[in-house]
Amino acid sequence: MEWNSKQMMAVALSRQIEDNKTYIIGTGLPLIGATLAKNTHAPHAHLVFESGLFEGNPQEVPTSVSDLRICCGASVLWPQYRYFGFQAVAAGRGGIDAGFLGGAQIDPYGNLNATSIGDYYKPETRFTGSGGANGIASYCDTIIIMKHEKRRFVDKIDYVTSPGWIDGPKGRERIGLLPDKGPRAVVTELGILRFGEDKRMYLAEYYPGVTPARVAENTGFDLDVSRAVEAEPPSPETLAVLSEKVDPMRLMT
Amino acid sequence: MNKLMTAQEAVSSFLRNGDCLAVGGFVTNRRPYALIREIIRQKKLLYVEGGPSGGDIDMLIGAGCVTAISISYIANSGFSMVCRRFRDAVENGNLLFEDFSLDVHTIAYHGAALGLSYVPVKNMLGSDMIAKWGISEEERKKHPKLPAKKYILQEDPFNPGRTLCLVPTPQIDVAVIHAQKASPDGICRIEGPIFQDTDIAIAAKHTIVSCDELVSDEEMRRRPDLNTLTGLCVDAVVHLPYGAHPSQCFGLYDYDARFYIQYEKASRTQEDFDVFLKENVHDCPAHGDYLNKWGAADLLKLRTSEGCAYVPGLKRK
Repeated sequence: MEWNSKQMMAVALSRQIEDNKTYIIGTGLPLIGATLAKNTHAPHAHLVFESGLFEGNPQEVPTSVSDLRICCGASVLWPQYRYFGFQAVAAGRGGIDAGFLGGAQIDPYGNLNATSIGDYYKPETRFTGSGGANGIASYCDTIIIMKHEKRRFVDKIDYVTSPGWIDGPKGRERIGLLPDKGPRAVVTELGILRFGEDKRMYLAEYYPGVTPARVAENTGFDLDVSRAVEAEPPSPETLAVLSEKVDPMRLMT
Repeated sequence: MNKLMTAQEAVSSFLRNGDCLAVGGFVTNRRPYALIREIIRQKKLLYVEGGPSGGDIDMLIGAGCVTAISISYIANSGFSMVCRRFRDAVENGNLLFEDFSLDVHTIAYHGAALGLSYVPVKNMLGSDMIAKWGISEEERKKHPKLPAKKYILQEDPFNPGRTLCLVPTPQIDVAVIHAQKASPDGICRIEGPIFQDTDIAIAAKHTIVSCDELVSDEEMRRRPDLNTLTGLCVDAVVHLPYGAHPSQCFGLYDYDARFYIQYEKASRTQEDFDVFLKENVHDCPAHGDYLNKWGAADLLKLRTSEGCAYVPGLKRK
């Protein structure tokens, strides 16, 4: 059965979700991955959104975290400060397994830029800025979704919007962040990267049809690919759920 | 007290040049677009507390109504991933801006609504929102509306060795929000997600509310458990059906993809944006003109029905 790289990414994202656990979801592919997980191996996963809309079960793809398509089957529609309070408190007691983030640039320690490229005060490209990403990265483990390009995987990012492991194992503690929370995985269209004991990114899995060498070529910093294994291809059943139920209008995949 | 006014009266009575404005809703949901268009027509020059901003704030920026913005997010998500007049203004050095995370905005607005002068947070530590100030202390001296500092880092007095980021709460002069229902006395009922509307309305010196449906005070007081704001926090009520268009309004209408698609194209250049602004704002001085422009039949297609907060199968591409 054929699949494209976005579908493989959605499947890879869905594999990061475990049943009965709670995840902070943004829109775009993470939502597709999460919905796919709920329709396959993790029917009781809880999805929460920074807009304060909790545990929705969207039937159509929402375009933002405030899109009322998220309200379907939701448990509460909280004012926003309640959400941010919940995020800080629940993360502290282990009530949130991970949050999903995206960005324009990432460094080897998983620090993420979603603000601007070039000079901050007169940038070549300005993006939206943090949104809720900084808070998620401050309090929770994160799963990061990136386009795998050399110019995006760089030694030094132009602006740190969301802190990762800073500069190594002691980085977070030093600046006052929770030392044991941080980036867990980076999911791209080529594979899945994880963080070693030195808190540097390494290639954990590459997708069928991709080689570790190709991943290294598309990475702008030295990447350890020695531990990488080939990812399992998506099953026909999972692909069918993805294309028939989760994203039939092909808005995202 | 009867607080019913036209949009023109409400904006000219309560919003002054140099004021700090906060806006309700979230990105493409229940943004008070009709009131924003009136602010543009009156060409106010403002400091803006962005929160989860949408194209409404982008229109204010493109129309030259913004001196400085405290920003955490600005998009018509799904249509414009970054609003383009904001982007253009920042890339060309034409806008004072200060970056925060949305968490910090929300917590600061809640702090302001509690009457606090600052909020201590752990957010932003280790990020460039700490390392880089969009607006320097020197520049801030020229703008009395802005706090003298972006933040102060301090040791947590109750947990020695831990760092806190103290963020000043904003001094909001005017909040503009859109509610499904309001009464002449200013009692408001927001249905569906509240976002940060209650907080900015309580924190602001003046609040202007537009509503889809105007109901009597007696009717609102029959179910106070469902109400969001007392009239004691509201200075003006403007009856503007579809006043949140093109954004969504829970229980009433979905967003209008036609608008967002057109805006994504028009906002790419200042010239095209100016034409868009002329057609949608200046050539539509009355709210009815604007509604006629977008067409009754098409607006009715956005109506949601009981039990579903959006229009199933709505054309969005």
